Amino acid sequence: MSNILVIEDDDIMLKAIRNILRKDGHEVLTAKDGKEAFEKLDNEQYDVVITDLMMPYANGLEVVSRLRANTDKRHVGIIVCSSVGNEETITEAFRLGADDYLKKPIMAGELMIRIRKLLANRSANLKLVTKKK
Amino acid sequence: MWKDLVDLLFQAYEQFSLLPLFIEIALAFIIIAIAATIFAYGAILYKRYRTYVHEKRVAFISPIIEELITDQVLLNENLGKDIPTEEIEFDKEALSNKVYKKPFVRQILIETLIQYRKNFRGEVGELLRKLYIDMDLQKDSFAKMKSMRWERKIKAVVELTQMDISISDVTILPLTNSTNPSLRAAARNAYIQLSKNEPFKFFDIATEPLLPWDQLEMFKIITTTKDIAIPNFSRWVSYSSNKSVVSFCLKLIAHYDQQSAIPAVMELLNNKDHYFRADAIICLGKLSAEVAEEKMVRIYNHQPLNCQVEILKAMGAIASGKYLEFLKTEFLYSSNFDIRMNAARAIIKHNTQNSRLLVEELMEMTHEENQLIIKHCLNPLIKY
Repeated sequence: MSNILVIEDDDIMLKAIRNILRKDGHEVLTAKDGKEAFEKLDNEQYDVVITDLMMPYANGLEVVSRLRANTDKRHVGIIVCSSVGNEETITEAFRLGADDYLKKPIMAGELMIRIRKLLANRSANLKLVTKKK
Repeated sequence: MWKDLVDLLFQAYEQFSLLPLFIEIALAFIIIAIAATIFAYGAILYKRYRTYVHEKRVAFISPIIEELITDQVLLNENLGKDIPTEEIEFDKEALSNKVYKKPFVRQILIETLIQYRKNFRGEVGELLRKLYIDMDLQKDSFAKMKSMRWERKIKAVVELTQMDISISDVTILPLTNSTNPSLRAAARNAYIQLSKNEPFKFFDIATEPLLPWDQLEMFKIITTTKDIAIPNFSRWVSYSSNKSVVSFCLKLIAHYDQQSAIPAVMELLNNKDHYFRADAIICLGKLSAEVAEEKMVRIYNHQPLNCQVEILKAMGAIASGKYLEFLKTEFLYSSNFDIRMNAARAIIKHNTQNSRLLVEELMEMTHEENQLIIKHCLNPLIKY
């Protein structure tokens, strides 16, 4: 079972993603804004973080860059899920270190597959790192 | 008791009529101001109370609705099993709950479903639509369409559009020509999104103008709606008597690069309205209509400044190289700064061996101000 943090300011979307991921067998925690997200990220380890871009206190890009700047949390898989679809924002998200980008409206099945793939890649990478050590 | 009150009022009136005129006026103002303040406070308090009651109701009903959507749609066992959405059945008992018969609950349910549809597409999106239909919520939306209040009509149009429910032409077409700008815009946007065969049919009957903001919204919808049937817009350029429709069609012709529309657009160069002519010239430039160059040069001297500037810009965009001499003359001998600037830019935009030689020649033979103009236009970092 993987630990997922969903950061989303839209209450409906937050609950919907949480329910879908729980059905898929994941442990899900939620945060409604950037501030709450930072608190939760500091207190617990996550396998995947799903974040919106436009949120109060801190936007999704700040969450991505802060995760990638932290050596302990650099390995966390990040999926940006936003209705912003312009090229600059998407490339900026990937440049800062996002693993995937989903444009809203999303497909529930697609989200689950992308999470599974991300988790599989992540565990393969971790195995490689352990082998090298 | 009533008699006493009437006597009292009568006495007060008698006293009042004995007062000097300016005191009477001042008193009247004071009484009106006090009455208006009391009325305003009353209205505010009533509105706040209604909002409070509504929020309480929403807070109570939202979890029930979300549970229904979660159980029936998001966590539906048949999702992802390659079963067509139309064949997926909901739990009838859950749907027939008495609470969903109340009008305010149904309205909140519609709004919640729309919110979900904005966030989900694919199978979940389709299932949300099916839930809307199976619960007969489209009947509520159609009932709102019959309302006399335009806000309710807009609400209905938006609901049906979001849920992809087709509305008959008889119902929606008259609304696309409503005198109310908000309703008109909502109906037009809905018509484009919902009509599968002729999404621009309302252009034929449009007598009310397409406002600039409406055009922007409509352009966004046209360019982002999937599987939209794009017609040849020259039809309205030639026959529509609505100026804003023609102007909007010119923008769409340029956007969809409809080369077959060039003859119709060229006809507009003879139009009496110089704003129309300017729009047509912009369109021809964007279409790189080489056939129109000769006519544009021919009419150039009889045009107002805005059209002349647009002709020079269009010649820069077409860049056939046939009229470099004309552009050179305009650059050297025009007294107007905008004309010289746009002529120089048009020459540079040609970007051919001849145009480069001409730029060098002009730099040598012209005066200091013109040299500055050329340098300015040659700088790729300066756009305007």
